[in-house]
Amino acid sequence: MLTQAAETFRSLAPNGVDWSSIAPEIALGVWALYVLLREAFRKPGSRGAATFTTIFLLLFSLLCVRNAFAIPAGASASFFGGMIEQSRTTELLRAFFLFSGFLTTLLGGTLLKKQGVPQAEFDVLILLATAGLMLLAQVRDFILLFVALETMSISMYVLVAYIRHSASSLEAGIKYLTQSGLSSALLLAGIALLFGAAGNTALPGACADPFSFRELRVFIFLNQGNAFVLGGAALVLCGLFFKIAAVPFQIWVGDVYQGAPTPVTAYLGVASKAAGFVLLVNVVTGPLLPLRGVLLPLLSAVAILTILFGNLAALGQQNVKRLMGLSGIAHAGYLLMGVCAAMALNVDWPIVAVYFYLFTYLLASYAIFGVMSVLSGEDDSAQTLNDYAGLMKRDSFLGGILAVSLGSLAGIPPMAGFVAKLFLFIAAFTAHLYWLAAVGLFGVVVSIYYYFNWMRVAVFVPCKTEDEVEAGTLKAAPIASGFWLRTVLTTLALITVCLGFWQGFLAL
Amino acid sequence: MHAIALNHYLIVAALLFATGFAGVLVRRNLIIVLMCLELMLNAANIALVAFARFNATPEHPLMDGNAFVFFVITVAAAEVAVGLAIVVALYRRRSTVMTDDLTALKK
Repeated sequence: MLTQAAETFRSLAPNGVDWSSIAPEIALGVWALYVLLREAFRKPGSRGAATFTTIFLLLFSLLCVRNAFAIPAGASASFFGGMIEQSRTTELLRAFFLFSGFLTTLLGGTLLKKQGVPQAEFDVLILLATAGLMLLAQVRDFILLFVALETMSISMYVLVAYIRHSASSLEAGIKYLTQSGLSSALLLAGIALLFGAAGNTALPGACADPFSFRELRVFIFLNQGNAFVLGGAALVLCGLFFKIAAVPFQIWVGDVYQGAPTPVTAYLGVASKAAGFVLLVNVVTGPLLPLRGVLLPLLSAVAILTILFGNLAALGQQNVKRLMGLSGIAHAGYLLMGVCAAMALNVDWPIVAVYFYLFTYLLASYAIFGVMSVLSGEDDSAQTLNDYAGLMKRDSFLGGILAVSLGSLAGIPPMAGFVAKLFLFIAAFTAHLYWLAAVGLFGVVVSIYYYFNWMRVAVFVPCKTEDEVEAGTLKAAPIASGFWLRTVLTTLALITVCLGFWQGFLAL
Repeated sequence: MHAIALNHYLIVAALLFATGFAGVLVRRNLIIVLMCLELMLNAANIALVAFARFNATPEHPLMDGNAFVFFVITVAAAEVAVGLAIVVALYRRRSTVMTDDLTALKK
């Protein structure tokens, strides 16, 4: 029945344009409009569509995983004149973004209620941002790249500033907007320069469609020394480095991660960063691959600085949201290591390793941010390590989730994070990037210090209020969290452990 | 008489872009920072239109460049709308639009 509908739809579409190829994104947009309308006409006191949105995102994500395995490995199809390319990888990435959208709305349900802000608009913005991210997974064209990236970014500006009564949230929002806007402008200028060079018929191999990745690659191969090509490539990379928060475009991270509502921090740290990496991988192994000789040293240097900066800045950090942000910079550095290896070897398996790392990072990060959303108090931006004192005693379930996920982020066996890191290091060694791997190892050792410090506080440091509790002046706040949130957090932690033992499905 | 060539447009675009870039980094008033962001996007637009016009041949009309500009204008409008909304909310909360006063997030 569904396939029949898809066939009918296909026959109606004009040549080469297949709207059913982006049906999931369209469905997300339609659902977002429905949620908005429903909210506008909702009687006060009746339920909104929040639960349905969460379930919708989860089901869609599972559907995309199923679709991915229906596509034979290695097969790919182009739509919209080559603007979009779909394969098993892009389908899995769609599922990845839908799943992070699902987790964000779930965490949002916990946190927004505490902050007294409405959920419907939050869900709408998450749906739109997710649609943008899903398109980003498949783009092979700079016009669509820019438009999809901005769809995501503009939703994100509002999300970061979502807690309107909080000065920190608004401040984070405007800081993110100005700096992200700056990076978008750099990206756009880069695209314009590449467009100008590649369309110039005086140069060899001028393109008919200078925005298409495939045509640009041929052109750049023929004009590697052209100043416009080099300048354009550099500016495009600047725009992407901002999204993945690589040095020197990491300045925004601390403030924005701290000020944004916790679920949005998670979304920024995982989904937005993952999108940045997907784009970076597609750009440096696509149109910019001919510039490998220049880009490889540049990316390696950026990776080294990113690993060092992230780990050293996270040392001694007391605010846990800042800690997650700054250590996230270090994770971006390890991921860049995988991208460098993929470029140096010009093979696909380091890219699979990068995506696997992103998935383990999603599991661990969302579990930690889930615990943070449960624990966050009146001021969402002021969550410090002290709030975690005695967590294990107060609520051993949340403490256990935190311990497993921090272990995964630090790369301790048998968690998934360890295996994922191992793959990236193997990739770096195979590509003879020894310096990079050495700095990476140093970074991992440093990261064990601050992740374990957090764990130590949660397990060994007694709760500050304990004396007062005994004196009867203050009741230990009971930690309330919903059944579904607990179920999902358990699932995340379980997958983290299972993936540590079994990764046989990866085609490495 | 010299005809206006591609380079003249590119110089104007480069100057506008540099002005916007410097403005975003140097200016302390958020409204002016937003204006400078717009300036940078529009500089890129001028470059895109100029490239599309001067590189076009009958075989390669390069309409994509012109079409892209409309997308950029739309994006820029959305961006500035959100930006101004946040500035207004921030002003109600903090009674300031200067970046120097945004210190709630320094630990």
